[in-house]
Formats: sequence, C-alpha cells, structure tokens
Amino acid sequence: MRRLLLLLLTDTRRHLKSPLALMIYIAIPLFLTGIIGLVFAPRSEESQLPPINILLVDNDKFLASRFLMGAMDSDPVKKMFRVTLTDGNDGERKMKNGKASAMVIIPKGFTVDIIDGKDVSLTVVKNPSEQFLPNIVEEFMKTLSVMLSGAVQAFHEEAQGIRFISENPLETLSWKDLGPQLESAQKKFIAAGKYLSPLFIRLEKEKAEAKGAKVQLTMSDLFGIIFPGMIIMFLLFIVNNRMGDLLSEREDGKLRRLLTTPIATWELIFARILGGWIWGMGIVLIMVTTGSLLFRIHWGSIPSLLLLGLAASFWTASFFAFLFSLLKNRNQAGAISSPIILVFSVFGGSMLPPASMPKAFQTIGFLTPNRWFIDGASRIRDGLFPLPSLMVLILSGLLFLALAVPALKRRSLV
Amino acid sequence: MDSQKLLQIQNLSKSYGEAPALDRFSLDMERGEVLGLLGPNGAGKTTLISILSGTLPGFSGSVTFQGKNLFSDRSLKNRLGIVPQDMAFYEELSAMDNLLFWGGLYDISRSELKRKAEELLKSVELSDRAKEPVKRFSGGMKRRLNVAIGLLHSPDLLLLDEPTVGIDVQAKVSILEIIKRVGREGTAVIFTTHQLAEVEETCSRIAIMDHGRILAQGTLDELIKTIGEKVIVRVEGEFSLSSFSEAIGSLADDGVELISAADDIVSLGVDDTDRIPKVMERLFSNNVQISDLKIHSPNLETVFLRFTGKSLRD
Repeated sequence: MRRLLLLLLTDTRRHLKSPLALMIYIAIPLFLTGIIGLVFAPRSEESQLPPINILLVDNDKFLASRFLMGAMDSDPVKKMFRVTLTDGNDGERKMKNGKASAMVIIPKGFTVDIIDGKDVSLTVVKNPSEQFLPNIVEEFMKTLSVMLSGAVQAFHEEAQGIRFISENPLETLSWKDLGPQLESAQKKFIAAGKYLSPLFIRLEKEKAEAKGAKVQLTMSDLFGIIFPGMIIMFLLFIVNNRMGDLLSEREDGKLRRLLTTPIATWELIFARILGGWIWGMGIVLIMVTTGSLLFRIHWGSIPSLLLLGLAASFWTASFFAFLFSLLKNRNQAGAISSPIILVFSVFGGSMLPPASMPKAFQTIGFLTPNRWFIDGASRIRDGLFPLPSLMVLILSGLLFLALAVPALKRRSLV
Repeated sequence: MDSQKLLQIQNLSKSYGEAPALDRFSLDMERGEVLGLLGPNGAGKTTLISILSGTLPGFSGSVTFQGKNLFSDRSLKNRLGIVPQDMAFYEELSAMDNLLFWGGLYDISRSELKRKAEELLKSVELSDRAKEPVKRFSGGMKRRLNVAIGLLHSPDLLLLDEPTVGIDVQAKVSILEIIKRVGREGTAVIFTTHQLAEVEETCSRIAIMDHGRILAQGTLDELIKTIGEKVIVRVEGEFSLSSFSEAIGSLADDGVELISAADDIVSLGVDDTDRIPKVMERLFSNNVQISDLKIHSPNLETVFLRFTGKSLRD
C-alpha cells in the first residue's frame, strides 16, 4: 500500500510539473461553452433592426403635415424609423451621400388641398443603393396615406371649419359659429372611439406556461445544459492522456524497471487506474467549480453531482485501462482513442443536444458515457437523484476493470 | 548446491519461437565479483538480464539467489539492483526526486534513503544539479543517474545492461569507477558490454557467450591461456570456405591452425609471425582472393575471435 501511494503521489506530481496540456484541456471546454452559450443565448428583449433613417421635407407646415409627423413620432413607429426634418436642398444632398433610406416630401398646400377634396400626393424618394429599407418606408407611407384619407372623409364637414380657422386671424373668429362644428366633431370622435379604442389590433404574445416550469430559459440554464456535455468529453480526453502512462512506460523501459522493484504487478496496475480515476475526479471538481463561478450554473444537489463525477471518472479510467491493455504503444492509442472520444461525444450529446438527433443516433448514444453523464446532470438539475446514470456508469466501469486488470498483468510481463 | 555462492544459474533456457536465446545457460557468482559478459548482438545477454530481473517469463532452469529461488520470494528484489539499457526514470522530475521515488519502492527508511541519495548524487557528480529536471541533463549525466538509481538500496547483486552505451569518455570512466567500487564493497556485479577495453579494465572475471551459452570464462589471463600464445590472423576476401581450407590444408604441421571459419572471413592461429608469409604464399598460389588481412597479438579480442569467430563489432 505504501508503494501504491508513492506511485500515486509521484505520478500526480509528475503530471503537475508540465501542466500546460492540462490547462488547455480545461480551458477549451470553458471557452466552447462560453461561445455556444453566447450564440444561442435567449435575449432579454426581442431582437430589433436598427431604425430606418427617413428625411422629411415639410413644404406644407400645416395640419396634415403635422399629423404625418406626429404619427411618425409615436412610440411604436419611433422604434422603426428615425425621422429627420430637413429642407429640399439639404435632403437631396443627404440622399446623395447615402445618409437616409428614403426622403418623404410633403408638398406645399397639402392640408388645404385635402380639405378641398383635391387629389394630393406625397413624394417618396428612395435610396437606390439600398434594397429593402426604402420599400419599407414606401409601404409605411401608403398606410399613413390611407389612414389620412379615411380621417379626411370622416371629418369632412369639420375640416371646413378648420380651414376657416386657418384662413382667418384668431381675433376675428366667433366661437358661436364654431360651436356646432366642434360639437359634431366631438360626437364623431366618441363614435369612432368604439371602434378605434383600443387602437386597431393588439398583438398578444402568449408563452406556454407549465405548472412549476420556468417561464424563460436564462443564460445560466443554457450553460447548465451545454457544460455537462463538455465536461464529460474533456474528462475523456484528460484521463486518456493520463492513462497513456500505461503504454509510454512500457515503451520507454520504465515499466520493466518498476517490475524489478519489490512492487507487485497488481499494485502497479491499480496505482495507474486509481491515478486516472482521482485525476478525473479532480478535473470534474475544477470544471464544476469553474462552471459555477464563470457561468453561474445552478447544478442542483452538489453531493449527487460529485457522485456522478466519481462514477464518470471511474468509468473513464477503467475504460482506458481496458483499451490500452489491447494496444501496443502510444501511437496506436493516439490513432484510436481520439476518434473513439469524438464518436462518443457526437452520439452521446456532447456536441448536439440528444433530442435534436435522429432516433437511431439517440439509441446509440445510450452506449456512451457522455449520454449517461448528461442525463444524470439533467436529472440532478431537475431535483432528482441520478440513479440510472450511476448504475450504468459504475457497472460498466466494473466490467472494463475486470477485463483490464488480467490483460494488463499479462502484457506488463511481455 | 554450493551454499557459498551468491547466485547460481543452472540450465537456463529461453526461446523466442523456434530461435533459442538462452541454451542451458549456467553461471555462478560470488560476492564482490565483477563479471563482464561479452557477446555479439543476439548472443542472449539482454535475455539473461531480463530473466534475472524478473521481467521475462517463459523460461526453464533454475536461479538461486542467496540460497533461495530468485523468482518465488519477492523480498529478494530488495537485494537485487538493475540498471537497464533504457534511461528508465522520469525526466520531468529532478535527479533527487527520481532517487527518492525509485528508492522509495524498496524497503528502506526515509532518512536512510535521503542519506543514500545524497551520497550517490555526490559519487556520480550530480550534486550540484540535484534539483534540476532530468530532461535538462546531458546523455552522460542521465546514464550516471540511471546507474545511481540501481545502487540506492545497496544491492547484493547488481545487473547492468550496457551501462556505458552512447556516452562520452568522462561519463564512461565515472561509471566504470562506480562499478569497480561497488565490487570492492562486496556487491556482485554482472555487466554486459560491447567494449572489450571496459571489461579488461573493470572485471575480475570475463564470460564470453554466444548462441545463448557461455563459451569461455575466467580471468583475462586464463582466457588468453586457453587459446595459447598464438597470433590471430584474420583474413577477408572473396573465397569459399572449402577452397580456403584446401589451400592451407597441409600447414597444420607448421603451427597454423584454423580457429574459426565462414565464407569470406577466416581466423587463423599462427605460432609465429614468421609463418605468415608462407600462409599468404599458399593462399595466392591457390588463387584465393584476399581483400583484407589483420594480425592480432593475443588479447581479449583475439580470445573473443577465437571463441565466437566474430569481431565484437560484427
């Protein structure tokens, strides 16, 4: 036992003496999780296009033009359009310089012509260098024109009073003459209000709300889904690297020298497997802690998570001990183990969410430690104990261990 | 069985498939003996060291060490020191850490181990680099550390497999000095090498082996006496063995002896160098094409040639 501990401690010290590979292996999953999380993160506000720049040339400067400008200054429209008031010359210059998507020109006498029932037109000058935004402006102006035409027809009689007001000085106006027109306008507004209030159509957005479920996925939830897949994938890489000692020591003669010492072969093999296991558990601890600090991941029950980490590390160490008992050297291991880890990761859900994969792939995924670790972590997040994952990882790990020990014992003497 | 002997190897045989590596190999060793094991490549030297180290199974015969079966009592490994041909230590660790690790695998107290490690580092001239990672060491320094690791637990039998291969003269001298010193201190040493000069200088006994067997053994003087005082003439050329034998067939009475022979290379033992012109004349008259001729006075190389028929470089 003393020799086994000495081997364990020395191996750990040795691997910590050249920590660059380990640090890279730990940094990569953190980096990948951060990138994936940021790309697929839910937004707190709906995504918006930047407002479309419109130049407005008001040659009318009376009621209708103010109506149009007021409409464009309303809150919902302001999110879509940024309207800049300008004159004709300045507007043309800005359009030539590409400063706006479109320029809307309200002609002189626009209000009076509307009141008189004459045909009127608004001019929309579109920026030829832009494809879609000028068309949006054009469509919006058409809608405004329709609304304005409707309003003029509904308030035709009252509009005459307005024209009267506009054409005469305020001190000459008689409120007695205007009274009936104002009263009529008031009645029409009240009647229209039945139909126009609430204004037009209100868009209701509904969210599916299951009892007890969260209303919205947060960033930390998303990281909590992505990160376990990364942990198990890089756990496989890191333990594979550490267990490679089994092969490299056989190649460079250290194993032969170890076997000339009083250490028993079984102690040597168990020291290697135990070393891989403890090393893996250390990696899981570092990643879980970093995930909590960096991504604010809520893991659920930490004791359950540690148990899952222990089981996954045990599985990984046993699996690579078994795999390396079949191989001759590190070159073979390099050619075989990395593809195996990648296949595990693809089918097991480290790279794609299992639910997004075809049924057959999902079934294959259950043959990988990745799938069981990810499922286990998910159960823990949901407040459940990850019994199925623990059972599968421990039992299959024991099977690999039982196969690995005699095979390694046999090979270490050849 | 002689209970005085530290090591007794009897009829040790090992084959790789059909090819025998050791063929009923037998050897005895006493305390303080330094045995140089000489043999051409493939003679079975490394196979012997591997079996004695306990890392090569599947052999027959017996090995008794300190009166016990070497392979049935694991505690005997505490009395056995191995210096493999490979630089078998951890390059990431310092020389001191390596010594403490490898020594820690034996039954030595921590304080004794520390003392012994410091003493060995001093004797292999690595004290000033003791805390440096070994990967920064030169080849010679690594070889010296490799030897030091094998001596940490003060073994009764030290096995060294070509400990001086590929190093500079200074490091070689240092290692040979260590071997001589541990021999003087009572440790039995077996070391394999291709360098005849090392064996001549270091060993109290020399064993020449080929094809898995010991062909001759003894002190240098004893070995030279086994081939007499003859001068060895080594002839190379394009000839068949039969034509060569026919050419010198009648020279036996003139003190010329065929020591070893193969197509293209023949070694002759000649009583007197005056006989060499006569040998050459006979060969030329029989149209034996000769490309090279070497004359050796009796020494370890001639002994080696005499028994193996090969130069050690072959």
